[in-house]
Amino acid sequence: MKEKSMIKIKDLTRYYKSGEGIVRALNGVSFEIKKGEFIAIMGPSGSGKTTMLRILGLLDKPTKGKYTINNLNVVHLPEEERNYYRLTQLGYVFQDYALMDEMSALENVYVLSLMEGKSKKESIAIANSALINVGLGDKGNRVPDQLSGGEKQRVAVARAIAKKPRILFADEPCANLDTQTSKQVLEVFKTLNKKFGQTIVMVTHEDWHTKYVSRIINLKDGLIVGDKRKRK
Amino acid sequence: MLNEIKVGFLSAKSSIKRGNKKTLAFIVFVLALIFMNLVFLPSMMGGMTGMFNNFMIYSYGDIVIEPNEDNTYIDNADNILQKVRAVQEVKSATKRLDVAASIKHKQKVVGATITGVLPSEEYDISNYPYIISEGEFLGDLSQDEIIIGAMLAEGYFGSEIYDNLGQIKPGSFVNVTYSNNVQRTYKVKGIMEGTFELVDLNALIHYKEIQEVYGLDKGKATSIVTRIKNPDDSANVKEKLIGVGIKEPVFTNNEKSEAILKQAMETLDLVNVISKYVSLIVGAALILIIVYINVLNRKKEIGILKATGITPKSIVFSYALLSIFYVSLGIIGGLILYFLLMFYFTANPVVFYESIEIIPEIRVGLILQSIFTMLIMSVIAGILPAWRVSKESILEAIWGR
Repeated sequence: MKEKSMIKIKDLTRYYKSGEGIVRALNGVSFEIKKGEFIAIMGPSGSGKTTMLRILGLLDKPTKGKYTINNLNVVHLPEEERNYYRLTQLGYVFQDYALMDEMSALENVYVLSLMEGKSKKESIAIANSALINVGLGDKGNRVPDQLSGGEKQRVAVARAIAKKPRILFADEPCANLDTQTSKQVLEVFKTLNKKFGQTIVMVTHEDWHTKYVSRIINLKDGLIVGDKRKRK
Repeated sequence: MLNEIKVGFLSAKSSIKRGNKKTLAFIVFVLALIFMNLVFLPSMMGGMTGMFNNFMIYSYGDIVIEPNEDNTYIDNADNILQKVRAVQEVKSATKRLDVAASIKHKQKVVGATITGVLPSEEYDISNYPYIISEGEFLGDLSQDEIIIGAMLAEGYFGSEIYDNLGQIKPGSFVNVTYSNNVQRTYKVKGIMEGTFELVDLNALIHYKEIQEVYGLDKGKATSIVTRIKNPDDSANVKEKLIGVGIKEPVFTNNEKSEAILKQAMETLDLVNVISKYVSLIVGAALILIIVYINVLNRKKEIGILKATGITPKSIVFSYALLSIFYVSLGIIGGLILYFLLMFYFTANPVVFYESIEIIPEIRVGLILQSIFTMLIMSVIAGILPAWRVSKESILEAIWGR
């Protein structure tokens, strides 16, 4: 049976005003993402990959085009609903960890469960489990300053996966990490994808990252110039 | 909403727990000064106003009845006293006779007002019996005895700026020459010290002495001074007194005070109000700046929180809680400073116009009002910048575009 697409994108366009001119960051992009895929979006600087991820993560809106998640057109959702969708359906890992400096690793993770309406006890249990999944079960009480770069990024991953999102978006998650630490983070992604069937969309410009993913989409000048699925 | 409160609380708690303690101490210190300024000056002003009003009690009680304009004396004072005492709201009343005289002690002579009082009635009327700093107050059988105001006696507070009678003590003798040239010698029975000219530049003797000197009948008085059960009700009681048929002019303490002190009090009140609003504006600006800098420094974090699905309301709530926390600590610090200053100035009163000691007045209502105002102000000043940043787009907050 043919697998159903989770995300559908059609003619996605994003223009920015820049000074007097207009930057065409995305120029009518169309593709679909199936559940359980681990996708790398690649391309040179200015190719539109980060813009793409922001639109997919509901952090930005396209100038035109259609974007549906499970057949729900999310482009014109009111801000409050987009917020709720981000909270309950999407996970996001930022390039620079994006942790709250004054919250412990555990608090950084469980704050989202609290927001979802879970009790503190339940939220802490979920956060602890997520931290264990990224190999930081013993570092929940540390604040970001007491963690290495790789550990911070793994906390960010734990935060994103704790709520069991339908899709996990990662914007160059290894950009600030050395190779060894990058491998640790990518291994975490791979495990999540293989073990739990987590759908992941990751922006990267490192070729060696592609060995962890199942599909590679290449962008150039706001257009898809390559879309390759690896054999299972 | 409950979820937003829980998240806001967690965020604020983390900021407080792990934020910079030195910065926190500095913020709290400045807010404490602002709060103290908010309550301290009004307390001093209140002390001054209260003190002036208390001084008015000596001369006018709560309500005073005076002779008609054309008369020197109230002619039927005893009848009036009967009517006054019959009014339910009246606590006590007495008659007095004020006369001008010169007092001589050894070679020194000073002019003064001498008030003839009925000593036992004064206990329920004025503070005279309670401000005798040396010697004793007059008794109902006192004869040829006088109470001298402290500023007329050398060595007492304020005496150095007025002509005085030199070294005078209880047991000293003074010669009094009345306006009708009758002379009498009195033994000083006590020195009264109210630290206010209207009291301390005067003298008291028994009512009967003045009656005799001036040959007045029993019903004569220059004033009938009344104390009422509820001093705040003086305007109503005044109407009742007029209603029972008193034809002489009736004045409340406030009317008398206003005539003498109205302008000064209005100026003080104006200074007080300006100072209060300046303090509030400075306080609000400070909290606004603190929270604004805090919010700007965390603009990216706020964007990230929004990106992960945290609602703007919980972010705003978190900053409101932070502001309330800062201000609450500031209020506690301010209260400590305030009471330290109050104790100091109560023990060491400020001397005003060389002869008036001002003891600040602690007013619970004012303190509660200031606490409430500071808290409201902190919520507004805390919410505004957080609300503004939380409404920015996520891209603007995180990446500045």
